[in-house]
Amino acid sequence: MIPNVNVVCFLASYCVAFGFDAWRLRARTGWSRLISLVFGAAGLLAHTFYLLLRSNQTQQPPLLSSAHDWLLVLAWLAVLTHLFVSLLDSTIASGIIVWPVVLTLVIGSLFVGAAPQSLDSHRGWAMLHASMLVLGSAAILCGFVLSLLYLWQHRRLKHRQMLKTGMTLPSLERLERYNRWSVLVSVPLLTFGVATGIGLFAFSNVILSWTDPVILGGAFTWLLMCSMFAWLLLGKRPPGRQVALLTAWACGFLLFMMVGLQVLTAALRVPSPHGSQASRHLESTPAADTHAPDTQ
Amino acid sequence: MNLLALYCTHQTTPLAIRERLAFSSRDRIGRAYAELKNRIPDCESVILSTCNRVEIYLAFPDEDAERTREILSQFLSEFHEIPLEEFSSDLRAAAGPEAIWHLFEVISSLDSMVLGEPQIVNQVRQAYREAEEFGACGPLVHSLFQSAIRVSGRVRSETRLAEGRVSIASVAVGDFAKSIFDQFGDKLVLIVGAGEMAEETLRYLKDEGVREIVVVNRSPDRAERLAKEWGGRAEPWANLDHWLGRADVIVSTTGAEKPIVDVARFRKARAQSGRRPAFILDLGAPRDFESAVGELDDVFLYDIDSLSRTCDENRRARVREIEHARRIVAEEQRRFMEEFHHRASGDVFARLLQDWHAISKEELGRLFNKLPHLTPKDREAIERSVDRIVNKLLHPPLTVLKDEAREGTPHGLINALKRLFRLDG
Repeated sequence: MIPNVNVVCFLASYCVAFGFDAWRLRARTGWSRLISLVFGAAGLLAHTFYLLLRSNQTQQPPLLSSAHDWLLVLAWLAVLTHLFVSLLDSTIASGIIVWPVVLTLVIGSLFVGAAPQSLDSHRGWAMLHASMLVLGSAAILCGFVLSLLYLWQHRRLKHRQMLKTGMTLPSLERLERYNRWSVLVSVPLLTFGVATGIGLFAFSNVILSWTDPVILGGAFTWLLMCSMFAWLLLGKRPPGRQVALLTAWACGFLLFMMVGLQVLTAALRVPSPHGSQASRHLESTPAADTHAPDTQ
Repeated sequence: MNLLALYCTHQTTPLAIRERLAFSSRDRIGRAYAELKNRIPDCESVILSTCNRVEIYLAFPDEDAERTREILSQFLSEFHEIPLEEFSSDLRAAAGPEAIWHLFEVISSLDSMVLGEPQIVNQVRQAYREAEEFGACGPLVHSLFQSAIRVSGRVRSETRLAEGRVSIASVAVGDFAKSIFDQFGDKLVLIVGAGEMAEETLRYLKDEGVREIVVVNRSPDRAERLAKEWGGRAEPWANLDHWLGRADVIVSTTGAEKPIVDVARFRKARAQSGRRPAFILDLGAPRDFESAVGELDDVFLYDIDSLSRTCDENRRARVREIEHARRIVAEEQRRFMEEFHHRASGDVFARLLQDWHAISKEELGRLFNKLPHLTPKDREAIERSVDRIVNKLLHPPLTVLKDEAREGTPHGLINALKRLFRLDG
């Protein structure tokens, strides 16, 4: 029996968790970390129930269902990773950066299409396409968080500031290493995701429109990440701050693409296989109508 | 038993006197314990001798504390062969609860030169262990030092007295260098100059696992000496630019009158470094590196002023914790005193109980002889009833004794009980 939860349940939990994490910057209190963890975990539980509920209602795995579910899966991965890291290192200040990203994704998911798509044929390929893209995006998201942490740490060290409330940031060397890896891992995943996407459109009856803003934006992001990938692998070793700045911009841009373009296509009713318009011919489920502005 | 602490510390006594009163070797400490036993038989003692303090903690049979203090002062004078007049005014004494308070403050590092420093706990533990090895400890000293160790644990875990680094080298390495580098085993450390501060920084860097150390100094002899001491190698001054380009961590303490490295020189030296980050700790006064060097992208330059500010902030944060730590010390002192007084009245308590039960047992024996028809079950029931009567009769006086012991050793009551029930024998 899956409890009946909605987006507001875990959105509120994540807001509280962010509030208490932010409070740790001002005052050192053991309980604020605990409360943040508890609310984060409670939110993650509700988030999981919600995705299961949606999956039951749409009879689709969340990754294939809709842009709404896709963004929520990405947010779910981000929260899971953050809670895991926080349990390993109680002092790490990653929550200050992760929570706003998660909140952006969850709030963004409220403004994109939630009606499930029909992909009964080639379901396996569609699943592979969506999985690769979500994992690649998660790696980029990771790079975004790491690069912001790098820039924060870099600025702190340049200005000789102490983190006074017992919070810590990983060393620049470690952040740079992880950041580099997140870019290097994301590109093959995205490439594979894009390739399976092209194959999927080629062999299915869905019409691929090169003017689809989501596809255009995605292709641009992919190219951008490929350029960074080549720059990191083939070029002379760039300074860590430069990598961090570029990653932050590239990943920020990707976030904008993912959320912004989906919202835009939904608002302008632009036909897109990734947006709500694709599901025009499908029956909307009751759960899909409970949370978002209806774009149909 | 009574307690006395006789001490001289960095707060009361100049180093010149402290070093003469120090018990510098294990052999001397052993002889000191033997001499103390000789002068005050039945005493229990612990001698704590560090660079910042010389202290003797003594538990001795109830006697005049002032007289015991004189004996101890005389002992110090004769043992170290220093006339008493030379240091008597520097000596401080604390008796009873004050002695306990003093030890608890010392071990909690509230009395240390660097507030909250961690070494004192180990020094006290070491002193206590040595006293045990030389057979100088007794039940009271055991109890006192075990309580002291517990107090230090509480202060460390319940306050932030030991948090934040307060020396320039430790802040530089612990708070900043470690935020740049993940590990130090593969880093090259360049020491420019061979000052004392460089040595202190090297100690922290070595603790972090630094293996490769290069010392460049105008005087090759000093460079050789420092390099040998820390397992590094000395390089000629002329190669400074080469090593500036290769080093990850640069510690500079040259004492030059104007900066020796400007932006152009540093940029040129680092041209082949592959844009690796450089951590520069400029301990020179005046500074050895032009401040503009710190504006280069992957260069993190710290000078004494910037680190001193952090040290001062940390010191102020520690000072804010003193009151909290003192509350714990006061609580533990009260607890220890209660146990201490309890122990004093405990002997009387135990003897009284023992005597009354012995009498009841004797009388019951007589009764059972007269009543041979009683079954074992009957006898057991009678024995239990009599035990209960004895316990109930003793309960009110013993409760009063316990209550009185909370405020201090109830000598009047103890003496009265001893006389009334003839417990001396």
